[in-house]
Amino acid sequence: MRNPKDISPVLVVGGGVAGITASLDLADAGRMVHLVESTEHLGGQVSKLDKLYPTDHCAFCPLWTDVKKCMEHSLITVHTLSHVKELKKESGKYSAVILKNPRYIDEKKCVFCGRCVEECPVNAIHYGWEHLYPPSCFIDEPSCTKCGNCAEVCPAGAINMELKKEEINLLVSDVIWATGFKEADLRHLKEYGSGTHPDIMTSMEFENWTAEGGINKGKIVKRSDHSVPQNIAFIQCAGARDLRMIPSCSAVCCMHALKQAGWVKRRNRMIDCYIFYTDLRTVGRDYYRYSLSEFEGTKIKLIRGKPGLIHPLPGGDGIAVQFENTLTRKREIRKFDMVVLNGNIQPSLIQYRPGQDEKTAIPPMDKEGFFNTKSDETSNFACGFGLAPADVAESVIQASAAAMRVLNKESDQR
Amino acid sequence: MANICVFLCKCFGEIDNTIDFNFLRKELSKDTSVSSLSIVDSLCLETDIEKVAFQIKETHADKVLIAACSTLSRGNLPVDSLIKEGIERYKIGLVDIREGCAWIHGDDPEGAAKKAKDLINMGLAALRYREASEDMCVPVHPDALIIGAGPAGLAAAISLGKMGFKVNILERANAPGGMLRLISQLYPTGEDAANKLNPYIDEVENNPLITFYPQSKISSIEGYAGNFTVQFSSQGKDNSIQSGIIIIATGAKIFFPTGLYRYGEIGNVITQMELERQFLKGSFDAKTPVFIQCTGARNEERPYCSTICCPASLKNAMRLAEEEPGSEVFILHRGIMMPGNILEEYYRDALSRGIQFILFEEERPPRIVGDDHVEHVEVYDAVNGITRKIETDLVVLSTPLVPSLDNARLAQMLGIEVDRYGFFPESYPMHPLETKMDGVFICGSARWPVASDQAILQGKAAAMKAVSYLRQSEIAASTLSRVPGPKSGHARVVSDFCTGCGNCVAACLFDACHLEKTEGRYISKVDMMRCKACGNCVSVCPNGSIQIPEHNYHMVGEMIKRAF
Repeated sequence: MRNPKDISPVLVVGGGVAGITASLDLADAGRMVHLVESTEHLGGQVSKLDKLYPTDHCAFCPLWTDVKKCMEHSLITVHTLSHVKELKKESGKYSAVILKNPRYIDEKKCVFCGRCVEECPVNAIHYGWEHLYPPSCFIDEPSCTKCGNCAEVCPAGAINMELKKEEINLLVSDVIWATGFKEADLRHLKEYGSGTHPDIMTSMEFENWTAEGGINKGKIVKRSDHSVPQNIAFIQCAGARDLRMIPSCSAVCCMHALKQAGWVKRRNRMIDCYIFYTDLRTVGRDYYRYSLSEFEGTKIKLIRGKPGLIHPLPGGDGIAVQFENTLTRKREIRKFDMVVLNGNIQPSLIQYRPGQDEKTAIPPMDKEGFFNTKSDETSNFACGFGLAPADVAESVIQASAAAMRVLNKESDQR
Repeated sequence: MANICVFLCKCFGEIDNTIDFNFLRKELSKDTSVSSLSIVDSLCLETDIEKVAFQIKETHADKVLIAACSTLSRGNLPVDSLIKEGIERYKIGLVDIREGCAWIHGDDPEGAAKKAKDLINMGLAALRYREASEDMCVPVHPDALIIGAGPAGLAAAISLGKMGFKVNILERANAPGGMLRLISQLYPTGEDAANKLNPYIDEVENNPLITFYPQSKISSIEGYAGNFTVQFSSQGKDNSIQSGIIIIATGAKIFFPTGLYRYGEIGNVITQMELERQFLKGSFDAKTPVFIQCTGARNEERPYCSTICCPASLKNAMRLAEEEPGSEVFILHRGIMMPGNILEEYYRDALSRGIQFILFEEERPPRIVGDDHVEHVEVYDAVNGITRKIETDLVVLSTPLVPSLDNARLAQMLGIEVDRYGFFPESYPMHPLETKMDGVFICGSARWPVASDQAILQGKAAAMKAVSYLRQSEIAASTLSRVPGPKSGHARVVSDFCTGCGNCVAACLFDACHLEKTEGRYISKVDMMRCKACGNCVSVCPNGSIQIPEHNYHMVGEMIKRAF
């Protein structure tokens, strides 16, 4: 067997569940991997989820084991707070320049005691996502004044404010793009009322707000006054399947909303959950049954119709939702205590339009920001939400398949 | 008598600010099994670990107990360092007195100290009685076995073949290709299915590493990850092959909607697959075809969406519209299932070409009217609230893919399960192609109905997962816990007491226990390569003759006694 150090490494861009899987698969097959992640920890969007559909398991345990494996694997080099600055194709290989921002707090030394967080005069230090490995605090660079107070109180000597940005030059054989998704700003579409009321949330905000490990420890309360809501409206296709914003269907939001509504029901069945859908797309294993599930005799109420106006009522008296039920053809205005907007997710690289940000190397994309499936390098070596809307299971499959293609390509050339 | 060395970690004051270490020292000195007790600043520091290792050698301690932080945090660091120093894993105990004691009970230092004392006492008890299972490694057979030669199976075979592994493919039919041979074009590209399939078949035929067995039927599968033995017959001849891993790519079956929408009783009502067959023969024209979705799916009997029927209907509807200019095409549906960017665009494309979509409700299905030939379809248009009468010359029923009846038999042979519908379930959404048996992978429509491009993707991904097994020269006995921590070991039978009642055989989730006749009586045997130390057998054994050394009765009993 050849020494893995003799073969050029593979660059994996994005440390979400797809990137982690691709890295682990390649490393288990004996390839060196450089994993580049733009945030301070691995895990991506899945680390922000409370539960996974359709099994209703926690998202955290399997992710944690994979993240730990990734961090400790001898063939994987993880670059957090980094991005790919340049990427050039030279005689079948890529030369990449990775811009790595300093972490200042050494994650291998930090004991997560939080003294630096208390000491920081400008609140620039945060606890990292406590479920992730290794748990460590991190410094939010833009607001840090570099006063050095934190370094003085750190008992483990983990903080070094002297670190500078560095550029890492790599010669890699392949690049796997696994950049994932981000939430689009719905404030451009005035009818959804996003940002006008604390109880109008996006689905990722709601997930975080109600997570068992989150701020409210799994309690369902309103964000405005912390009282228990009587009813919650989940608005599907908010911004999606909409030519003004995201023309595509995000594929995951129907199930995501059903899961969230189900967990609201399980935690407090007195709360009425309404899902306003266009088409309820439940195509995977058990997904359809999910939409029929009963919670102690109460069901999630499904209304076919996309609300035309969501508006907070004066005096904090709830939120009015105006909609037409397309099955009864009746126009209605109903008052809700909370509104969750679902569907506004799009590929995370969409903001990097060519020419707009010259510092970041990007692969060819279509106009919606998905990787171009007609181009060789992305159709073969892209995975996750960046390639096409995909849930966790599908992203993982795509990631493993992309890793396989990398290995097959090597044997093709031999 | 055990000779245990105890180390209390201060964690730079995080622990000893809350918990009084002098109290712990006093309490623990009563325990005769503690040979020495030391307090260190932080076990995360390399200098302290060196000190610890030195002290263990100095005092000739048998076992080490570390009271520090949780394994989910940094607890594994000192343990890993001590393993590197040459101490066996089962001789190291780790007790969490930071997250679970000092931090969470910060407002009650006395209670926290008592809890820490109890936890450490339990840790001491555990260490005292914990034994180690014997290690077991078996060589890995470097061949792969793929069951089913549809697009998923072929993709997996080719990927593994290119990597240089020997691959055997078992297929029930005469030729490879699976369901892809029955359809004419693929959505959304409109590419000919044969064009997609032929390179795969060529590669299978030309790669000397890939062996294809047509007309095969499996009679038995035995073994475990790294070493499966499969008995089968191919073209009437009995055969046996060895393989390291098994990839299940058996696909799904087509559902025939006998009795639904008067199918089989009246002319011009055909299924989607029959329409595909017509397309394969040549072109096919109809003036006003009507497609009816969810025929036999999303009902009580089959409460699932079969994923591929909506896009397939759209594809055929657009083709019929193109071949017969001026025709009107209707799709009667219960919600169009076209998730994702590409399919959504495909849907918009169909709308712009004038395909008419009519939503109906499950309670009011369309009615086929006609004597011997369909004349018109009556449907309640749920969106407009009117009953529509569509004059038609062709009704196409979109039927779901259903699991093969053989799935249950195959699952039983492999020691895995089928889900409530009859498909093969994954162990977890984050590991979607792995089953609960190590070395057995699922892909394609055997797992869940998927389109051919998805099936190919899954085949490649399953092959990727298989590579990590096949490239190892030997494989260690598996354990349930993927989480790093103390090794969970394997069940062991004390044969003197075993009465051969068979409770453990029934309770085992992984087909690891079986009864064997020795010296004239039946006793239970555990297949170590399959055992995952879940402990089910231990809990059902009436006389305690089956035990997991790492978690034996003495140990758990003593731990409970000390806790309360």
